[in-house]
Amino acid sequence: MSLSLQPHRYALGVTLRRLALQPFSSLANVMVIALALAIPLLVASTLLSLQPVARQLSTDPELTLFTKVGSTTDVARNMAQRIERDYRSEVSKVRVITREEALAALKRNPSYADVLAVLPGNPLPDAIVVTLRGADLARRSPELADTWRKWDGVDMVQLDSAWVQRMEALLRFGNTALGLLAAVVAVSVLAAVFNTVRMQALSQRDEITAARLVGATESFVRRPFLYLGALTCAIAAGVAIGASAFAMGPLNGALADLARSYGVEFFIQLPPPLWLLGFVLVVTLLGAFSARWSVTRTTRF
Amino acid sequence: MIEFQHVFKSYGRGVNALTDVNFRVAAGEFLFVSGPSGAGKSTLLKLIGGLDTPSRGVVQVNGQDVGKLPPRARPYLRRAIGVILQDAHLLNDRSAFENVLLPLIVTGHSPAQASSRARAAIDKVGLSGKESLRPEALSGGDQQRLAIARAIVNRPAILIADEPTANLDHDSAVRIVEVFRDFNRVGVTTLIATHDQALIAAYANRVLHVDAGQVTERKP
Repeated sequence: MSLSLQPHRYALGVTLRRLALQPFSSLANVMVIALALAIPLLVASTLLSLQPVARQLSTDPELTLFTKVGSTTDVARNMAQRIERDYRSEVSKVRVITREEALAALKRNPSYADVLAVLPGNPLPDAIVVTLRGADLARRSPELADTWRKWDGVDMVQLDSAWVQRMEALLRFGNTALGLLAAVVAVSVLAAVFNTVRMQALSQRDEITAARLVGATESFVRRPFLYLGALTCAIAAGVAIGASAFAMGPLNGALADLARSYGVEFFIQLPPPLWLLGFVLVVTLLGAFSARWSVTRTTRF
Repeated sequence: MIEFQHVFKSYGRGVNALTDVNFRVAAGEFLFVSGPSGAGKSTLLKLIGGLDTPSRGVVQVNGQDVGKLPPRARPYLRRAIGVILQDAHLLNDRSAFENVLLPLIVTGHSPAQASSRARAAIDKVGLSGKESLRPEALSGGDQQRLAIARAIVNRPAILIADEPTANLDHDSAVRIVEVFRDFNRVGVTTLIATHDQALIAAYANRVLHVDAGQVTERKP
């Protein structure tokens, strides 16, 4: 082994011995930090899993006009032509879904099959689905909905993409909340490692004095504590990843039904390996930083 | 080698541990530092060992002004000085061998070299066969020998010991001083603080007497 690595090997040995000397205390520290880390990791996993789902969904506002029950499909087709003609600059696509097509689509869903079977006729109206385009759609879509609602033959107008926009807003909120949660957890990890290292440094007073007596530099004295903080955090990050992966089983089971009701396939999964590696690295550095701060303050004797 | 020029050391307000101390120790000398408890012997040795700095004056050790050394340079001065304090600060969670190994790890020796030098140091102080014992399993005399082995393993030019025989019977104390004499014979400058007059009478060539912070030369 290279001589320059010798002090690091010694520091690592000292660190492992200190961890082994107090197995329950070391385990408790790891578990506290791991549980604190698992919460933002699960939230991050959820948000990262939601992003592709949100991207798949159309975020362009869609307005659906339902004709009055009993009116002919020609009424719906005429309305579609009128929209294409009069609102060309604001509309990217118009399509008519006839009441027969709508009923056929519903019948394909086994959940509705029984209900539809007992109905005497087709209770559904014709629908015109209008995809909007252009700037300031958030303001313009409700205006168009109000205008079209007043047309003869229109029973109701629905802004179909509102829930998608709400979901996007929810994701933005989630990301902000995750940032704050991560900051709170980072402070908790700092405090936990700071206190652990402080207790260790106080209990190793004799060893520190002996090392200084024989000419140890402050780096030499502090290094095992830095390793202690970094190692504790690295193990805790690994445990947090394991715990999150374990928790995803029951969580995904419960989520599956909810996701299906929105017509999407959604399940939470851990972020990609590179992301997780970065997570472990950041937490490890946080531990080392906190340990350095603590040992510098505690070993001034 | 060691020179004190008008050295003062005070702790807080009005507590003067050393007052205008002047002396010189040549390389290879063997001398005792005597005086009653609390007279300033430990302070004197700590200044030589770079474990403290003077309030005023100049302490020169191996040509370096201890008071002007930046904190990060002091560990390197300490490596050239073997220090044995009253409380030996032996590590009770490690074997005698691992205790002696510590200074060699600090100075970055290879495992093979460190192992062979540690065994040689243990052999020199007469602790062969007790390498695997923890310090608390050793007698008071053997603990002092272990502290000496740890202090000399890096082959220092200066050896300072603060009351190394304080808790030992006369025969054990004599054997410990003999160990110091052996190192002095090969050129290691040795300063031993003690108030054991019998030892001073038997071994001293030169005595620095400390009393109320003042240092005077005394004939043995």
